[in-house]
Amino acid sequence: MAQVLARQDRALSPEETEALLRDRLGDQVVGTTVEYATFTLEVASAGWHAAAQLCRDEPLLAYDMFDCLLGVDAREEGFDVVAVLYSTSTGNRICLRTRCEGGREAPTCPSITDVYRGADWMERETYDMFGIEFEGHPGLEPRLLTVENFEGWPLRKDFHLASRVAKPWPGVKEPAELDEEGNVIERVPEVGDAPGPYDLDKAMAEQARAVNAPAVEEGAQDEAEQDTGSEAAAEATDAEESPPETELDQETYERLLAEGKSERIARSKAKAAYIKQQRAQAAGGDAADDGPSATGGDAAEDGPSAAEKAEARRKEQAEARRRKAEERAAEAEDQGAGDEEEGA
Amino acid sequence: MGVMDQVELPKPIRYVFNWGRKYSLWCFNFGLACCAIEFIAASTSRHDFIRHGVIPFAHGPRQADLLVVSGTLTDKMAPSVKRLYEEMPEPKYVISFGSCANCGGPYWDSYSVTKGVDQVIPVDVYVPGCPPRPEALLDGIIALQGMIQNESLKERIAGRRLDPITLGADAPLALEN
Repeated sequence: MAQVLARQDRALSPEETEALLRDRLGDQVVGTTVEYATFTLEVASAGWHAAAQLCRDEPLLAYDMFDCLLGVDAREEGFDVVAVLYSTSTGNRICLRTRCEGGREAPTCPSITDVYRGADWMERETYDMFGIEFEGHPGLEPRLLTVENFEGWPLRKDFHLASRVAKPWPGVKEPAELDEEGNVIERVPEVGDAPGPYDLDKAMAEQARAVNAPAVEEGAQDEAEQDTGSEAAAEATDAEESPPETELDQETYERLLAEGKSERIARSKAKAAYIKQQRAQAAGGDAADDGPSATGGDAAEDGPSAAEKAEARRKEQAEARRRKAEERAAEAEDQGAGDEEEGA
Repeated sequence: MGVMDQVELPKPIRYVFNWGRKYSLWCFNFGLACCAIEFIAASTSRHDFIRHGVIPFAHGPRQADLLVVSGTLTDKMAPSVKRLYEEMPEPKYVISFGSCANCGGPYWDSYSVTKGVDQVIPVDVYVPGCPPRPEALLDGIIALQGMIQNESLKERIAGRRLDPITLGADAPLALEN
């Protein structure tokens, strides 16, 4: 080629290319398509070699670079062979496509190795994978990609994978997750749903709790001893004194677990619900004590009332805890009795 | 090997001998796929298995003690692995690195992938993962070194002799023709 630089201005448009090829090849042209910005020329098997020759030698086309060659399984209709050519002078790309003669039993296609030397191993590879014989190829055997005594053509749709015959594919074949009836399971991911493969989060949280919990408790108690009049200290003491089980709103916790949420989420939400309840109770208590108390005024005035309130709340909680424990004991007794009856 | 595989060494000598062997493993990397990248990462300065006495990039299988098969072994490649393994001098060790080398991994149903390198050569340590992190390889190497420290070379070679190589069984000997 005299000019080797890509000259898009000299390139033929797909319409012009089609007109030129139809003019030269006559009724060998089966059809043309332009998809994904690629011009595809479908030719009859008899015109395959002539089409490749024309694409290379015609100065207006000048497809001087052989890109790739591949096979396509067209099910009942046999096999297709596709060659992709590129022109370094115009920057155009063309797909040549042909249907092999011989159907599924003995697909044959003319070789284009004498036009493009690069087609040699591409045709060997296509022979390896699809069993398409290329007439005029210097030597398709021995097999290039598979072991030499390999039986069958692995990229044919009817090729059976021995491992799959022995053991079917485990799980779903599609990317979407399916349930047993074949419906797609849709999941909205939530925070804490996927803690990672190593449960690292959980372990770290436990460690942090083990290290921090006693210190916080002691600190809160000290504070409470030093300054019992402070509302905040009283609240902190309340929160810290109660054991972790009673910090949760059991109703919310069980409901969330039943809905299939993770334990972590259920726990945190139940805790929030519990705190809300406590606040509501405290507000009720304030209302009973005639108006809001902690107005940021003199500590001497507010001190006694706040201490009284804290005392009352503590009593309330102790009462609630006792009641709960009794309920649980009763439940356990009932269950034990039930088991005994069943056993009997 | 000479006398080493015939005579059981006295225990103190064996200890020193094995200690020396386990910290000078010349390693031959049979890199076949993405696991080889993890192997290279394990050999460079961040993970650095040279500090464990593993010397990467032996000049060839004839100078190597340890073969690390990292990656997807195909049926086409299997004879080469077998041949390179047989070129290595005794005592020789094999680490199968990654799911593909262990059992075929994600290509368990492929028409061309060998279902594990242990179908071709004996394996000492399997390192699971797809691909395993370099730390996993370090773990495998430590495990292998523990094995070398405690083994008796005589017994190892005797174990090999139980499954002898039969000359002329697969192909006629050159002398017969």
